[in-house]
Amino acid sequence: MSRFAARRLAAGIFLLFVVSFVSFVLLSIPTLDVARQLLGQSASQEAVDAKNAELGLDQPVLARYARWLGDALTGDLGTSWFTSEDVLTAIGHRLPVTLSLMLGVTLVTALLALLLGVWAGVRRGAVDRLVQVLGVVGYALPGFLVTLVIVLVFAVQLRWFPAIGYIPLTTSVPGWLSTVTLPILSLSVAAVAGVSQQVRGSVIDVLRQDYVRTLRARGLPPRRVLFRHVLRNASAPALTVLGMQFVGLLGGAVLVEQIFGLPGIGSMTVTYTTRGDTPIIMGLVMTTVVCVVVINLVVDLLVGWLNPKARAA
Amino acid sequence: MRIRRFPTAGSAGVVVAALVLAGCTGAGGGTTGQSDPILDIATMTFPQSLDPVTAVGGALPFFQATYDSLLKREADGAYRPMLATEWTWDAGRTKLSLTLRGDVEFDDGTQFDGTAVKANLERFKASSGANAKWLSGLEQVEVVDATHVVLHLGAPDPAYLYYLSDAAGLIANPAAFADAEKLKTAPDGTGPYELDASQTTVGTKWVYRRADGYWGERLPFDGVTMTVFDNETAIVNGLKTGQIDTAVVQDANQQAALEGAPGLTTTPIDFDFQGILLFDRAGVVTAELADVKVRQALNHAIDRKTMLEQIRRGKGVVTSQIFGTDSLGYDEALDSHYAHDPEKAKRLLAEAGHADGFELKMPRMTSIVTEAIASSLKSDLADVGITLTWVDVDQGDALRRVFQNREFSGFVMNLGQQASDWLVVKDLVLPGTFNLFGYTDETVRALVPKIQTSSTEEARDDLRALNRNLVENAWFVPFYRMTYALVTDSGVTAAPQSGMAVPSLYNYRPAV
Repeated sequence: MSRFAARRLAAGIFLLFVVSFVSFVLLSIPTLDVARQLLGQSASQEAVDAKNAELGLDQPVLARYARWLGDALTGDLGTSWFTSEDVLTAIGHRLPVTLSLMLGVTLVTALLALLLGVWAGVRRGAVDRLVQVLGVVGYALPGFLVTLVIVLVFAVQLRWFPAIGYIPLTTSVPGWLSTVTLPILSLSVAAVAGVSQQVRGSVIDVLRQDYVRTLRARGLPPRRVLFRHVLRNASAPALTVLGMQFVGLLGGAVLVEQIFGLPGIGSMTVTYTTRGDTPIIMGLVMTTVVCVVVINLVVDLLVGWLNPKARAA
Repeated sequence: MRIRRFPTAGSAGVVVAALVLAGCTGAGGGTTGQSDPILDIATMTFPQSLDPVTAVGGALPFFQATYDSLLKREADGAYRPMLATEWTWDAGRTKLSLTLRGDVEFDDGTQFDGTAVKANLERFKASSGANAKWLSGLEQVEVVDATHVVLHLGAPDPAYLYYLSDAAGLIANPAAFADAEKLKTAPDGTGPYELDASQTTVGTKWVYRRADGYWGERLPFDGVTMTVFDNETAIVNGLKTGQIDTAVVQDANQQAALEGAPGLTTTPIDFDFQGILLFDRAGVVTAELADVKVRQALNHAIDRKTMLEQIRRGKGVVTSQIFGTDSLGYDEALDSHYAHDPEKAKRLLAEAGHADGFELKMPRMTSIVTEAIASSLKSDLADVGITLTWVDVDQGDALRRVFQNREFSGFVMNLGQQASDWLVVKDLVLPGTFNLFGYTDETVRALVPKIQTSSTEEARDDLRALNRNLVENAWFVPFYRMTYALVTDSGVTAAPQSGMAVPSLYNYRPAV
């Protein structure tokens, strides 16, 4: 298991270098005149050239990347070109917001999807059809529409929750819950719909396996068959889908963060990317890649624990 | 101006039982208490840094919290003493004498004096800030003594009092200049508030607390929170739920969403105008534009009223002039100078020898030229025979191609209408950023020197004559002034600031 984890970790570190290089090269394509944006339309060309030199934009891409990488390896990701804030500090302030959403959605999705999927897979019939219809509807509803309806009903009309803003967990647990509940609810609709269908399909597949029939024939209680054997084998594909959902939320959180005015890395990505703030964007890319690597590693380890055959893959 | 508690609705218990038991606290900022005098401002503009050399109009309140300016500009545009108590011009209007307060200190005990003023003005002029050009004509700052300085200008500049009441007049502690990097996130001024760094998240939320022992007028809030949002939907929802005290809402649809919302008051602000900045009046890129009749035809071809109704739900005022209502050059009659008259436009084109029309290429930046604006302009101009070709550009690309490479004859922009007439003249009429090709005419050549050397009031007639000349000779193709909504909740009142899209920090008061 440890060799398996080490292999995955090494692949993750390699991925980190590759993505950082590709991202840096892509960001160096001069589509945005950052210096002129910083100085305004009326700045002279001399001032723009001086600003470009100050930002290091007059250097070759490889030289700039080497410098960035050298600093990054010492833990210095630089400062924002547009707000002068330290990149690590800026991301450190915003990452907990997005992580709150991602962890919340994953937890809600895991619980509800498991319940619905197992219920539908075991019961079949009308229950199965109902869960399938709910799944299709939940998946088909546009995310922005779901979010807008939720905020209008539960925040603006009923005033049960705040419509905007974020309170850190460290400041107030109830406050934190109040600010993340509606965003998590908004993001969970499609996630639950998708994962519950995966769980349902896996449960039905496993229930049809010969060994399940054998276990039943040996007189094992149905509940033990379900929880001890069926779920363990059906969980692996569902876990993989859940992991992918988690990673997808890094991008999917943008809309929800914007509508709820949450200062997370989703809305931050949009704001700083449209400006071409390379230090911040590179910091966000690295954060995202680290998250993806960690999630994949956790999922792989869990799948490997559930299914030892997967460790050999 | 408070922290509101959301109802601990039992009906929400199914969702989060613990939450309901404990009560939900709003996210609007502030602390607990019966009367929490914290002002929560929402905005979509945020400063590049808190170093005053980077201050620009929409972000000025961020700086006013921690910095005082030499002069204070009241809501109606009048100048009042602040760090400078008196100011006088010499007869030639090239020497501005300032008398300074002698009882103001920075936090570290450094005295505010003439030397501090000199250091700040010279630093502002030498900086790469967006408004550094304002002080380009400043030749010398003469420190007479601790409370008297004389600003020596190379040429008269009627907007100087404006500069000193705005970004150029913000005074930082000269001792902080040695570590300018620090000044970007740790302001060091003599202002009414101090930045609460522990509560501030740069780029998202700036929290200010009242400065102990502030020398000046005590502002009515113990603190100010300025939260930045990247969309107005969140701002509108925050206003409706009472999590935000005040904001300026620009989008017409979002303004409509606020209509009838209980407890909210809306005050109109007319600041930005939208229109075509027609740079190429000499016909360098598009030869046809050299003829005034062609430029007039463009103005008559545009159906401003329909555009305003369709694109901004009527929230604005059609206009044919670039001078705003707060300026002396403004002439109400000129708002309707160019009526929508396609037949007259065709006639003018025919008289100019272009009866078959011509092609006009313009850059399209989708953040300003929406699909509705693009198709409306294309259709209006096509009706009179002019083929409008849009060239898609992003923001960075647009700045380079329009202002540096001078590839286009015009550019649809939203521009603020300055209250200072001389700023309008400098920015839009004299050769420079928005007069790329340096075009001028006899009337402009005759009037501008007179305006430059007169006091503001003396120049009123000349400014109006200049404005009329610009309109009649179709220097621009303005569409309309856009009306924004200054929204306040029931606990706050706010007065719009003359010549600014957002109120000054001094303009907010608790509602009585």
